[in-house]
Amino acid sequence: MKLFDRIYKFFRGQQKEIVPFKILFAEFKKSLELNNQILDLIADANDKLSGDYIFGEQYIQHTCRRLADLVRQLIVTINHLTEQKYSALYTSFHKIEEEIEALLRGRALGQVKDYIMPYAMISRALTDSVGGKNAHLAEIGTLLDHRIPDGFAITTEGFSLFLEENNLRDRILSIRQQWHQSELAVDEASRRIRGAIMEAEVPHKLRLEILAAAEVLSRRHKDITPCFAVRSSALGEDEISSFAGQYLSRLNIPLDEIPQAYKEVLASLYSPEAMEYRLMMDFRPHEIMMAVACQMMVPARASGVLYTYDPVRPEDETMIVNSAWGLGEPIVAGEVPTDHFVIDRRPPYEVRQLEIVHKSETMVLHGCGGTGIDGVQEEQRLQSSLTKEQLRELAEIGMQLEKYFKRPQDIEFAIDQQDRIIILQSRQLRLQHTRAPRACDLSDLSEKYPVLIRGKGIAAMEGIATGPAWVFSEGKNLNDFPMGGVLVACHATPQLARVIHKAAGFITDVGSTTGHLATVAREFRVPALFKTENGTEVIADGEEITLDTECLTVYKGIVQELQYYSIQEEPIEEMYEYRLLRRVLKKIEPLNLTDPTADNFTPEGCKTYHDLTRFVHEKAVETIIDLNFYHAHHRDSQAGKLLWDFPLDLILIDVGGGIEGGHAQGIRPQQITSVPMQALLKGMSYPGIWDMAPAGVDFSSFMSSLTRTSSVRATSPEDVGRNLAVVSAEYTNINFRLGYHFTVIDAFVSDNILDNHIYFRFSGGVTETIRRSRRTRLLAKILTYYDFLCEVYGDIVVARLKRTNRDRILKRLFLLGLLVGFTRQLDVEMVNEETIDIFFNEIRGIMEQKDGK
Amino acid sequence: MENKQTSILILDDEPIVGKRLKPSLEKKGYEVEAFTSSKEALERIEDRPFDIVVTDLKMEGVDGMQFLTLVKEKYPATEVIVITGFATMGIARESFNKGVFDFLAKPFKLGEIVDIIGRAEAKIKKSRKI
Repeated sequence: MKLFDRIYKFFRGQQKEIVPFKILFAEFKKSLELNNQILDLIADANDKLSGDYIFGEQYIQHTCRRLADLVRQLIVTINHLTEQKYSALYTSFHKIEEEIEALLRGRALGQVKDYIMPYAMISRALTDSVGGKNAHLAEIGTLLDHRIPDGFAITTEGFSLFLEENNLRDRILSIRQQWHQSELAVDEASRRIRGAIMEAEVPHKLRLEILAAAEVLSRRHKDITPCFAVRSSALGEDEISSFAGQYLSRLNIPLDEIPQAYKEVLASLYSPEAMEYRLMMDFRPHEIMMAVACQMMVPARASGVLYTYDPVRPEDETMIVNSAWGLGEPIVAGEVPTDHFVIDRRPPYEVRQLEIVHKSETMVLHGCGGTGIDGVQEEQRLQSSLTKEQLRELAEIGMQLEKYFKRPQDIEFAIDQQDRIIILQSRQLRLQHTRAPRACDLSDLSEKYPVLIRGKGIAAMEGIATGPAWVFSEGKNLNDFPMGGVLVACHATPQLARVIHKAAGFITDVGSTTGHLATVAREFRVPALFKTENGTEVIADGEEITLDTECLTVYKGIVQELQYYSIQEEPIEEMYEYRLLRRVLKKIEPLNLTDPTADNFTPEGCKTYHDLTRFVHEKAVETIIDLNFYHAHHRDSQAGKLLWDFPLDLILIDVGGGIEGGHAQGIRPQQITSVPMQALLKGMSYPGIWDMAPAGVDFSSFMSSLTRTSSVRATSPEDVGRNLAVVSAEYTNINFRLGYHFTVIDAFVSDNILDNHIYFRFSGGVTETIRRSRRTRLLAKILTYYDFLCEVYGDIVVARLKRTNRDRILKRLFLLGLLVGFTRQLDVEMVNEETIDIFFNEIRGIMEQKDGK
Repeated sequence: MENKQTSILILDDEPIVGKRLKPSLEKKGYEVEAFTSSKEALERIEDRPFDIVVTDLKMEGVDGMQFLTLVKEKYPATEVIVITGFATMGIARESFNKGVFDFLAKPFKLGEIVDIIGRAEAKIKKSRKI
């Protein structure tokens, strides 16, 4: 029986037929089609985050499942093409799919089982376990090599253990429910939950691990007294939601008090402010998780906050620094006056504006027993809290962090006793949305309405607010703040954020645009004027006022003329659906596999749907080339390498009437009879198109580095080139990888207008974001000008043209040839905005010239 | 009667729809009530008429089609705008046959629905004048 089996298999193996190329190519085309559908769907989902859309969980679920379906089909297809060579892709796929399904079901988010993670082991991938603050800080230290406080994270797994062992989960849930059903006031609910947390014990196991980790830290820093800072690092705290200021930090405590401080920080998760905020933002129970940072205390000489953009006027291209002597807590809480610096975003980072204030008080460390407020020494009171050199260095660090995290940053820092800069925290900075037209033009207002404040203060969030003033003074309760009131207070403290959903505006005597209240005001688009010096004195409690932050003016009475300007679109709230979509997109959108020659370019290396898609595309092209060029020769197709003046590694596969003559020695351009391919090559070989680079670039080396896809090992046929064109008389399908760019062109040209089409997709390119964005804008401008229906997602450009007559299609293929010929250089050359127009005109010139012929 | 606030009832089992729409529409001067349960929405409809009803078509355990049919029977002058996540031509056609004013597929932009509501309001005002 066994023998029989073997013979049977032997014969079956022998009989294996070569699959006709037409069938293989159909599979290949199918994989391209799926590839495009997937990338479009991902881009589309990302677009939904712009805030203009209303979508529900149904949409997210539907999109995820549709994507899963397409990716699965894609994997089936590549395995058809390669006789199951990449079945390991299924494993990676199922893993990602399961993770996404878990997110959709609202399962807890933590990924690690450890309770403690030292900073050296933390990366952004662990954000859901250690919180954003820990994750970012750890990367700044380990990957970017800046000074950060040495420390470790107590993970959400530790928090879960704390809740479980103390049976707190259900208890908190039921108190929360009572509050949601208005059976309990928020203050009472908060008091009960915090009480329950404070009464609970830190589980023995967790306690031991925390103390052991702190012990390791103190041994590593024998030179200083081991005092610690215990800070919140709640989930979501650092990403978009700006409620970080609401949570507690315990500073300068001795080792044995860490567990107690840990509990206090956990309890702050349930402060009334934080609870109100989460209710407003529709947080689900599984999202309410607190990781904690435990760090060596930095005895700061000075502290401050750096914004890499002016959040209110980003168009000014400046950075903002606010700083003062001592520890940073009162600075971010808006409790002390700060020195204010405006710095150019470009090197040499000149200080454009500086304002040194009188600093009389400072927060200092008291041995290892907490903090206190001290008077500032006389000679330091009017002295700048930062040196010129420190400002320059800060600016440099700021720009580096912005580049690394790819977003404007809000950075907290300290200057230690050795005058070194220590980064304490970095997170995304929210910029103000585009403003409505300026209201300052209404110049006669001050004649009609009494002015209470004019030309004083700084706008933390621009806009117009009208309503009764509510002056927050001693003995008043924030709970009594009226709906639609304008809050007037001495300090811009984070606690005021509690009334953000009721407040029409904020006015404070002291405060800075880099404080937490400012961040929250921008998040909710509540106009805010800080640093008015005497707002609480000149504005009477209960009187109707109009705040116009753009003109730094407060009027007595309701200014009807201005009210018109205050009617704007509703702010885009950070609803649960937005967070969920962002979370699932993290498993879908990032591309980790950028380099096909890298070690991680494997099925196992695929961490997202985008990775899987990218991997399959690369392998599909490779397979088609291998099958036709290096190995089996199908009788129904001809394959050969293009012999050309330009060192372009292009394999041509003819499926019918696309090439004439023999292929054995390679294919000369004259042999190509495929009409669309001819047009493309004409464009690509247009004189000068390959060397539009300015003088100074070594042309030949430039060319070879960019067009030889893998020049180092060019001797091995497997590695020569992965540029593929499948052609027939009327059809061309091209997959180019030139340097790091990826181009796909699919075109059909005939006399029947209805059949004609061009599809063009361009992506990739390793260069800084801003140049990439110039490149995509240039391409979009050109393509749109020439009638393409053009879409841009990130750095992907997709252009389509249909139902166009033969001549026009050919002209546009010539255009695409030109673009392919020189887009590779654009990253290097698009040094400023003007280059967009320069290149645009250059291309147009060539096109018109050609028309003239 | 001329200056009466236009009233809108929103029914969608996905809370985000009402949450996002209600404040924006109120700011634009509409009187808005939002529901996530069709039972409650029906009870409200028993109490009073609305000028415009915005409803989802496919909701878990509820048939939006049934809801809009009842609304139209009771208040033929009410304009109904249908939003749904699973837009198919069949459903769209059926809802148009029932006298639906317009049809919007989810996800949609805030501006899109505001436009449609504006058009529905204009139609209502015009018919009132006549």
